[in-house]
Amino acid sequence: MRFIPVICLLFGSWLALPAVAAEAQDWLERLADAGQSQSFQGIFVYERNGSFSTHRIWHRVDETGLVRERLMQLDGVEQEVLRVDGSTECVSGTLADQLGDQQAWSAHDLDSQRLLESYDLRIIGESRVAGRAAVVLALSPRDQHRYGVELHLDQESALPLKSLLLNDKGQLLERFQFTQLDVGTLPTDQELQSGTGCQPVTASKAAAEVVEAWRSDWLPPGFILSRVAERRSPASNEQVASLVYFDGLARFSVFVEPLRGVMVEDARSQIGPTAAVSRRLATADGDVMVTVVGEIPLGTAERVALSMRAIEGQAIQ
Amino acid sequence: MSREALQESLSAVMDNEADEMELRRVLSASDDAELRATWSRYQIARAVMHKELLEPRLDIAAAVSAALADEALPVQSKTVVRGPWRSVGRFAVAASVTVAVLAGVRLYNQDEVASTQLAQQAAQPSLSTPQAQSPAMLAGFSTAGEQQGEAETASEAAPGWHDQRLPAYLRQHAQQAAMNANESALPYARAASLESR
Repeated sequence: MRFIPVICLLFGSWLALPAVAAEAQDWLERLADAGQSQSFQGIFVYERNGSFSTHRIWHRVDETGLVRERLMQLDGVEQEVLRVDGSTECVSGTLADQLGDQQAWSAHDLDSQRLLESYDLRIIGESRVAGRAAVVLALSPRDQHRYGVELHLDQESALPLKSLLLNDKGQLLERFQFTQLDVGTLPTDQELQSGTGCQPVTASKAAAEVVEAWRSDWLPPGFILSRVAERRSPASNEQVASLVYFDGLARFSVFVEPLRGVMVEDARSQIGPTAAVSRRLATADGDVMVTVVGEIPLGTAERVALSMRAIEGQAIQ
Repeated sequence: MSREALQESLSAVMDNEADEMELRRVLSASDDAELRATWSRYQIARAVMHKELLEPRLDIAAAVSAALADEALPVQSKTVVRGPWRSVGRFAVAASVTVAVLAGVRLYNQDEVASTQLAQQAAQPSLSTPQAQSPAMLAGFSTAGEQQGEAETASEAAPGWHDQRLPAYLRQHAQQAAMNANESALPYARAASLESR
């Protein structure tokens, strides 16, 4: 008689496994949808090594489905972003100087199917954040080329109440957490009105030629090219090609800037969750500096930087 | 007893899966230099797999044996000493063994603590320094002494090349992410945190 419960248990867990996975995936899909269908406003904190800041968000979805969103830093320098239907209307202060084109994204953000190729998704429990009941999802990386994420989603709205970025040792790299959230209350027009410091964003030209000029010999599995752009260098008149790669959750950018004979050493640094690696690369048109910036481990960024190649005959202008 | 069996037992001890027999076998052979070398190799292999840095030459067992040998001499030379002194001698041996073990443990831990402290110290100046001082910013970017060294050599070759560009690259990267419809708050906050430096 003893074996019956054991068999029930075994059978039960075998049945429950896909059900749990489906439930977790269901939450992820609700999350992807949450910002498009619900109005909310609240206050959140952002923390990483050497930085802590508080911000306010107003997010309104009107009857036609148009999304207006205003973000504002509450401490220190007044920084603001106003976005209407996914495109940036205005940005304040220094945030603006590097903002460029509004070209369409080739990859949809938070693609839950693609994400599951690189991360193991599980529901690990329940919690309480900003006075609200939350379900906790763990996204553990399947390899060492990306970080893990612990997501606390609001039970009621599936909005992310808390998001932690963790490295392979389980150390906290970054924390995003609401301290107060009000779901369902429509922010007023006045609240969605940007301040005087908010400057309109001008579009710069799209750069299809960048796609043909650079490629990577190696990419961490799951990452694909999600956008390209070309902008003027922050320090000279050179055009800098930028390529963004995305695995469904994490993102890194590759910048390629011509050196024109200037002697520059390679460099490596880590700013909170973001790794930055610069490596010199010789091309037919002279040396360029390849800089990889992203929320990926330093070693992975290094390997990507080493793998960038100029495509013959299409060298950067 | 074959060498393979011994190594198997050693491996089991390391994985915390040894039964009493195996534990005894390994302990009785613990004076064997070859076995010790194997043990130390296993530890290094495991440390590499777990990505934990560790000082492989730090043989606590050897240090403990040495301490025992040192302590044992005076006790043995005074064989006539009666009860109370003997126990004091034993206590001294035990104490020195404890110190050796504790010292070993401290060494391991300090390593970890020191590295995190280093990282924090490297980051702290960036909190207080004004934005305009770009060399200080670059120092803040680095988390290890070695990287700072590299940054310095970079500025020798072409002064401030990275200093001028890296903040803008970081910002651009954060903003490209922030322009997405679905998750805007986190990348925005990331970008903003670079501004308040």
